[in-house]
Amino acid sequence: MAISGTLLRPREAGTRPRQRRRAKMASEQFTGWAFVTPGVAIIVLFGAAPIVWSAVMSFQRNNLLTPDTPFVGLKNYRQMVHDPIVAQAIQHTLIYTALFVPGTMVTGLFLAVAMNRKIRFISLYRTAAYATMAISTISEAIVFIWLFDPSYGIANYVLGKAGIPQQQFLNSPSEALYVIVIMTIWGWTGFAVVIYLAALQGVPQNLLEAAAIDGAGHWHTFRRVTLPLLSPATLFLAVWLTINALQLFDEVYLSTQGGPLNATTVLVYYLYDQAFQQFNFGYASAIAYFLFLVIIVVTVIQFRAGRRFTYYRS
Amino acid sequence: MAKHGLRAAVAGPITVITVAALGLAACGTDASSGSGGAKGSSTIQIWEGYTQVEAKAFAYLVSEYEHQHPGQKVSTLFVNNDDSLQKVLTAVRGGSPPDIAYLYGSWAPNVAQIPQVVNLSTAVQQPGVNWNDFWVGERDVATVNGKVIGVPALVDNLAVVYNKTLFANAGLTPPGPDWTWQEFQADAKKLTNPAIKQYGTAYVTPGNEDTVWHWEALLWEAGGQLLSADGKQAAFNSPAGLASLNTLRAMAVTDRSMYLDPTDSAYDNLFNSGKIGMLVTGPWDLATFTNVKYGVQVMPAYPDGKGHQTISGPDNWVVFNNGAANVAAAEKFLLWLTAPAQVKYFSMQTGDLPTRQSVGDASGFSQQMNSTLPGVSTFVTNLANVRQARPQIPQYPKISQILGTMIVSVLLGKSQPQAALAAAAQQVNQALAAS
Repeated sequence: MAISGTLLRPREAGTRPRQRRRAKMASEQFTGWAFVTPGVAIIVLFGAAPIVWSAVMSFQRNNLLTPDTPFVGLKNYRQMVHDPIVAQAIQHTLIYTALFVPGTMVTGLFLAVAMNRKIRFISLYRTAAYATMAISTISEAIVFIWLFDPSYGIANYVLGKAGIPQQQFLNSPSEALYVIVIMTIWGWTGFAVVIYLAALQGVPQNLLEAAAIDGAGHWHTFRRVTLPLLSPATLFLAVWLTINALQLFDEVYLSTQGGPLNATTVLVYYLYDQAFQQFNFGYASAIAYFLFLVIIVVTVIQFRAGRRFTYYRS
Repeated sequence: MAKHGLRAAVAGPITVITVAALGLAACGTDASSGSGGAKGSSTIQIWEGYTQVEAKAFAYLVSEYEHQHPGQKVSTLFVNNDDSLQKVLTAVRGGSPPDIAYLYGSWAPNVAQIPQVVNLSTAVQQPGVNWNDFWVGERDVATVNGKVIGVPALVDNLAVVYNKTLFANAGLTPPGPDWTWQEFQADAKKLTNPAIKQYGTAYVTPGNEDTVWHWEALLWEAGGQLLSADGKQAAFNSPAGLASLNTLRAMAVTDRSMYLDPTDSAYDNLFNSGKIGMLVTGPWDLATFTNVKYGVQVMPAYPDGKGHQTISGPDNWVVFNNGAANVAAAEKFLLWLTAPAQVKYFSMQTGDLPTRQSVGDASGFSQQMNSTLPGVSTFVTNLANVRQARPQIPQYPKISQILGTMIVSVLLGKSQPQAALAAAAQQVNQALAAS
């Protein structure tokens, strides 16, 4: 911007271009910084500073109550290795992620393909699909609590009609996590639909026609032409949903509070519990940093693997 | 999981509001400490979480105080009670805590560790305060290691709320004041009807403190104690502990007469829909039971136990040190706010139980309250059954977590009461020894 602006301007007689240019650069820089500073200040204050502070806290015994915060080295990190609930929380987080991410993407892709056509009321369907994103998590949680209530919920009613025995759902340590998976897939499908729908509309019609002329059937065209062209959207969704899945908190907090018997305790819920119920801010910070590392590693692997199959049209 | 897009969209404005609020808060304290000594006038800041009728009654009391005490200003800031400790901790670290904050009693042992918290021991012993007029359950929770860290702001207790219609339909006589847990269990069984999805009673099972304190009342009634007298050992792995868990197990597992609510959010709606016969709950739920005819009775007792006890979860007004002038002004306001006349006004307006015994005992008081909120008089008299408080130790949150797991595992039929007690006692002993 700065350079092109200077080049386009005709030189005036009697001025020294170089100096003018430097002054102009300086003033533009100043203007630029002036515009950026409030944003940067807010990010540093509310983003960067807490990140650094929690890194420091993860090496302290800190309850935030007393000013006494002795440095304990790696003790908090070592404690994690011996904490059985951390092991459970990691397991729950991984199971959740492994089900939620593919589940959301497949459902989202299916709905997007179904809605990528010209039929009556299509905008109504598309709005309906995205509405789940606009609904607040707390309403979503309340609705699902009642849907999956063992005695009064519609889920057990339907199972009963189909002759399947009644389930305990959120009351059962072996089922509660899967209810949360269903709840969050429902909440996030709209997001996947929008991304896939946008990508589907970018698939060139001539390629699809060419495939049809070559005699490819519907499934074959979808599998060999459409799906590869959707790969950038797929990579984006995989990374984005995985990061969110590893940070699962709201739905657990609002429905089961980590229970029953820690069955839905995931890492972020456990660190919240350690920080704000048990006042172990140092330990909670260590868990947060462990999760941070996990997310970085997983994301890097996803991008590396993604390079293999992602097809970018230039 | 956070919906990041949405959250980011609101984060901006919230940040701005927070910055603005911090700025205002800073102005408030500066102004007060500046002019405090000079003119005898001062402004104190108070954080409270009152809504609806409570907010209205509190606002009236504040304006009344300012009217009666010219020069004294009280500025109030609404802070959701659930978040107030988090916010207070942030403000303390930032060097600008409020002068007074409403804090849950279950936080008291942890709050006591904050150096800026003012020791109110001498203030509450001043003539005219009559500290012993506060219920013993409140005083116990406001006192940590012999130091008074708060003035009681709220008191409640657990009693049994029952559906009169369901009792009549089942041909049962309503419970009397001398009833036992055996009768409770038998009634619950008769009130249960799987065909119409009707349960005798309910229990909240998220495994948090709400799960735990309901059980603690049973433990005390059976004659048990949570910890040894010196607070160093678990004491609930006892015949009383076993009796209390057996009572719960009989209803949840054997009779299936107990609706288990893992989310802590369904039981009140179900009771209000006539699906649950009896609830062990507190006075705060009464106002929501508009669709059913209910009665209130004290907790049942164990035949060879310690009578009809109950548990209370009082909350405190805590004072933070913002200089001697502010502390003095804050103490003055609090002692006025919690004097009998104001306590009576607040209870009458809101239906909250009176925090002072003299107010509750005054003739005609509970009948008058009962006319606006039926059944509340039983909760007022039931305050006399609050004979002890939870242990006031910083390890309590950890202990509560262990007990929550123990109770839920018994209720879900995942472990036998005796085994659950032994495992929990061992973990509690470890937690106590670790610190």
